[in-house]
Amino acid sequence: MKRSAAASSALLLGLTLALSACSGSNGSDGSNEGSAAASGGASASAAPGGPVEELTVAFPSTSTPKDMQMVEDAINRIAEQKIQARVKLNPISAGEWVQQTNLMFTSNEKLDLMFVSGALYNNMVAKDQLVPLDELLDRYGDGIKTAIGEDYLQAAKVNNKIYAVPTVRDMASSYGVSMRKDLVDKYGIDIGAIKSLDDLGNVLKTVKDGEGFAPLIPSSPGQTYLENYLFYDKLGDGIGVLPNYDNGLKVTNLYEMPEYKELLTRLRDWYQKGYILKDSATSKSTPWELIRSNKGFAYFAGMKPGFAAQESQAAGTAMVAAELLPPVAMTGTVTGAMWGVPVNTKLEDKAVQFLNLMYSDKDVVNLLDWGIEGTHYVKTAGQDNVIEYPAGVDSTTSGYNMPLGWMFGNQFLSYVMKGNDPDIWKTTDEFNKAASRSKALGFGFDPTPVKTEYAAVSNVITQYEMPLETGSVDPEKVLPEFISKLKAAGIDKIIAEKQKQLDEWAKANSAS
Amino acid sequence: MTTTTLARRSKRRSLRRFLPLYLMLVPGLAYLAVNNYLPLFGLAIAFKDINYRKGIWNSDWIGFRNFEYLFKTSDAWLITRNTLLYNAAFIVLGLALAVAIAILLSEIRNRFASRLYQSIILLPFLISIILVSYLVYAMLSMDTGFLNKSVLPVLGLDPIDWYSEPKYWPFILTAVHLWKGAGYSCIVFLAAIVGIDPEYYEAAKLDGASKWMQIRKITMPMITPVVIMLTLLGIGRIFYSDFGLFYQVPMNSGALFETTNVIDTYVFRGLMQLGDIGMSSAAGFYQSLVGFVLVLVSNYVVRTINKENALF
Repeated sequence: MKRSAAASSALLLGLTLALSACSGSNGSDGSNEGSAAASGGASASAAPGGPVEELTVAFPSTSTPKDMQMVEDAINRIAEQKIQARVKLNPISAGEWVQQTNLMFTSNEKLDLMFVSGALYNNMVAKDQLVPLDELLDRYGDGIKTAIGEDYLQAAKVNNKIYAVPTVRDMASSYGVSMRKDLVDKYGIDIGAIKSLDDLGNVLKTVKDGEGFAPLIPSSPGQTYLENYLFYDKLGDGIGVLPNYDNGLKVTNLYEMPEYKELLTRLRDWYQKGYILKDSATSKSTPWELIRSNKGFAYFAGMKPGFAAQESQAAGTAMVAAELLPPVAMTGTVTGAMWGVPVNTKLEDKAVQFLNLMYSDKDVVNLLDWGIEGTHYVKTAGQDNVIEYPAGVDSTTSGYNMPLGWMFGNQFLSYVMKGNDPDIWKTTDEFNKAASRSKALGFGFDPTPVKTEYAAVSNVITQYEMPLETGSVDPEKVLPEFISKLKAAGIDKIIAEKQKQLDEWAKANSAS
Repeated sequence: MTTTTLARRSKRRSLRRFLPLYLMLVPGLAYLAVNNYLPLFGLAIAFKDINYRKGIWNSDWIGFRNFEYLFKTSDAWLITRNTLLYNAAFIVLGLALAVAIAILLSEIRNRFASRLYQSIILLPFLISIILVSYLVYAMLSMDTGFLNKSVLPVLGLDPIDWYSEPKYWPFILTAVHLWKGAGYSCIVFLAAIVGIDPEYYEAAKLDGASKWMQIRKITMPMITPVVIMLTLLGIGRIFYSDFGLFYQVPMNSGALFETTNVIDTYVFRGLMQLGDIGMSSAAGFYQSLVGFVLVLVSNYVVRTINKENALF
């Protein structure tokens, strides 16, 4: 009796359709009645003494910390004083995020501010789920604008309007491999000398010969080896890409590129030599699990400043990193995490005002990131930017463990947990400024005009990408089959549409 | 005059007498109305270009555009074939196995043993399909699987990369489905068999009928209506597929799509990025429509053969 999520969503929708009438009237309870009066004049609501509104803020999270209410109250004390607003934080389990927020939209539930992931951004704009923010940012968003910086804010534009603002964090990504330090030391590997895949191949051979197990493992279950080796701009989804992040803005079919075939051949060779985990295509283990059980040595990764420290923490053993492709900023790396105002809201002014606090108010940011000082963290003596857990508390016993700094607005205002580089945000800021920019930075693709082909092509890609990009099958035989099936499914039509949208985008952008 | 008042009175009396029964019907009807009839309005979504600002009713009508992706692909034939063949196999083998188990269970005289076996056979049905997929993985995994590590070497065979060989999967999936579902579906048959009047068997025994004869001549004919009913219901769902079975158990392995891709998994994979509710509703609509037609047709066939066994 089980059905696919897709099919049963039809049923769910029917239900929510019936319920939407109820929730619609629920939405206009006491606190909202006031908003109708207040939103008439934005300046009036900003004036001190105006009615205090409650904003519902939704974001994906892995858990709801038990001291959430405490932190929320502390944030509200600041927010009430500064912008006459209270917030209701609504963490939603990350696995249910898409479905839950979709239901919130269809049932018009009260929602004033929400996390927006880059993967869904264009789709949400196309479905008219987000409020355009340009004017609101001019009025209330000075803190946001200065924190993000003009050119990265531009990257969030769709049809020349900003519908969501990126969080301030690492805006670019370099690509390379993350490796176990103990084995690197054991075999005297010079990580500075790993510059290309040939070099990497030699390292893998050394480790394979010495240790016996397959050294190269997937970056995460369900990811292929090429997903973290982007020598091209994916332009959103990888169906039609921009090689070398430029290519004169000519959209190209990745799967037909000679470079792609070369990579597949190399992976196949590694697979046959035993450098690659045989179960790659179906493995459900994280790289850290494999490394802890001594079944892996290295994995590809998108990297940023402080990456090796972060990975060492996750793996539970020291890791080092080698960069293969230099840092580059693409639409995907910038728009990965954003905040937007859903159309459900009646309080868009207050929502943007609160968002502004998340980008400019150090207290609000640190409450969201780390909780309450003295309870959930204490400042390390002698350093005003570094914090540690209070005596007797660690990340597992803390009442507020929400390590989502990259998500809550401006991470550069966040304290640094002891053990990490205290200058990490300065380094990251420099990294962002120094990174090269894709020529299509800011372009986002809207697949709605080619939905039919898109569904078919998505299926073909899931069928072939994984076995090919893990070396599990012979590219000589399977790649031509893959390409011809893509053609049959209509990939050329999607690429043509993407080219059209890209040309329009380029024209609009050079004009402005 | 007197007769009509009498009739009216008896009508009223019968209403009063059955009132509790009608009341008992209410929750079920309400459930059916809310869960099965209200959502029918949602069918409109399949024909609309959903826009959240406009709302469902004000979104534009786009005719059959949402349906196109189901037929426009080169895989359309493949997923239809897989869905139909798997379900046909599941219906036939599932019924045969369930009936066989039910008969065997009903022959066990020791009540405790009978209950115990029934529970054991039912157990797989209660296991989440995610766990089942890992149980299968534990059997078939390339590096650590039981078959590749312990069974095949003993038989002197080379290890098989199960997750990239489509040809084994029709058997694997059917076996998993039967193992998981047989215990549950045999409950209905068991109930039907228990409900057969023991006098038939006593009479047959007096006439010297063997156990086999009793099963063939008494049990089977008596449960035929139930078998037909369940078959018809199964046919009504022949265009749906058990998503967990076809998505989780093969570990979403692309190399196996030839024999594991069915309509539901195709729709899921195709729309995962688009998240288009219009297109997913279209798939649901298409599936229920085909199921509806198939139920009507097969019921008609049953009725022409034996009127009493038809559903309606």
